[in-house]
Amino acid sequence: MARLSLLACAGVAALATVAHGFVPPVPRSYTRGRMAMAAKKDFWIAPSILSADFAKLGQEVDNVLAAGADIVHFDVMDNHYVPNLTIGPMVCKALRDHGVTAPIDVHLMVSPVDRIIPDFADAGASFITFHPEATNHIDRTLQLIKSKGCKSGLVFNPATPLSLAQHVLDKVDIILLMSVNPGFGGQSFIPETLKKLKEARKMIDESGYDIRLEVDGGVGVANIKDIAEAGADFFVAGSAILKNPRTQDAYKATIDAMRAELAKVQ
Amino acid sequence: MCHGCKCLIGPSMLASDLSCMADEAKKVIAGGADYLHLDVMDGHFVPNITWGPPVIKHLRKHCPDIFFDCHMMVSNPEQWVQEIKDAGGDQYTFHLEAARDPAGLIEQIKAIGMRVGMALRPGTPIEDALPWVDSVDVVLVMTVEPGFGGQKFMADMMPKVAYLRAKCPEKDIEVDGGLGPATVDAAARAGANMIVAGSSVFNSEVPAKVIAALRRSVEKLGNGKSEEELTQLPS
Repeated sequence: MARLSLLACAGVAALATVAHGFVPPVPRSYTRGRMAMAAKKDFWIAPSILSADFAKLGQEVDNVLAAGADIVHFDVMDNHYVPNLTIGPMVCKALRDHGVTAPIDVHLMVSPVDRIIPDFADAGASFITFHPEATNHIDRTLQLIKSKGCKSGLVFNPATPLSLAQHVLDKVDIILLMSVNPGFGGQSFIPETLKKLKEARKMIDESGYDIRLEVDGGVGVANIKDIAEAGADFFVAGSAILKNPRTQDAYKATIDAMRAELAKVQ
Repeated sequence: MCHGCKCLIGPSMLASDLSCMADEAKKVIAGGADYLHLDVMDGHFVPNITWGPPVIKHLRKHCPDIFFDCHMMVSNPEQWVQEIKDAGGDQYTFHLEAARDPAGLIEQIKAIGMRVGMALRPGTPIEDALPWVDSVDVVLVMTVEPGFGGQKFMADMMPKVAYLRAKCPEKDIEVDGGLGPATVDAAARAGANMIVAGSSVFNSEVPAKVIAALRRSVEKLGNGKSEEELTQLPS
């Protein structure tokens, strides 16, 4: 009788707490991933200098960081991996010498990649990401980046399968999904990327590793919430932020609008 | 040997502060630069990446009038002619070693309305340039191995300059690599009239003084002008 009433009490108590929004216990691995994601709800906004006024780069970077950006994103193109030529390690070094202390996130759209990695590390890069198609040895290139003291990452073009990351998740700090075909700024977000982001989020959560899920291409105020809800926590935005009028106030207005959208994410 | 080719000084933006290229460009333009030398490197023809057409386009917005000499250290120079023109380039200087069809490329550059420059690495004999010398506006004799700024001037490239000057008394001959007040006399004597200088100009407290010193050397030792006829040094 006493035990029955104890059970009854427990049941009532459980019901009461469910009524107050208590989430029942879940399997351990899922909890670990979910806890990691909850802890990472500090979303990172990384303006891409591909859209900056290159002749006034120091001023542009100063303005956008003062406007609330977290990270500077560098698009490096060598006209061999993508059909465009942008900037190299000297520009990264120039920004560091100028006084930029924020993380610099270098996305290498070059092929082959190994030779230029040490140059960027020495020039002050914080993160270095590359395309798996651009190297003959993905694991070795990831280790090269880490050996130079930088965070490492793999970049996936729209058609590149996520399975290429599967066996190196222990060496990857960032997975970057391209939501446009790399090479040029100002393109529109490819909607299929949302589905790929969900798959990548699941892969990361199940691994238990602390990996940032970055997205680049056509990200703006109108779609950043959907992109975050699909699992991204690191957003590159070029022409959405760095556009006329090129003032700190204008950049702040856009970044604030993005953060307001992100605040609505469940 | 003296020649009548006008001295032109082209500071190399490779040595500028790349975080404020517009300001750096304006500084040397105010200091007397005749043109800006823009080093485009693709990490393949040379083991460095500098910048591409997007950077040149932005620089052109801030400096609408200065002549841009775009030195294309890229492995496929045929590909970039239109982009460089659209970005604001005035001269397209390709490397002979990288051109699959130099004659075709020269025509392509002329058709689009840019001046044609042809560059030779230190290891390339000057004789290799002879078939095309008459069709180009400028021959660029590299006085360092291309790829990085701040290197030491290779004086043993001067016979190439002297040979070319003797063969083509009216051709614009450009030199690039390690040029400064200490090394320019050799280049001027050999017959170069277009001087690209990077570190010596941008690292100087007063770029105008370095630019004037380079110009005076060419005027005196290349053009044979007397002391009174030389460009004045800024005070």
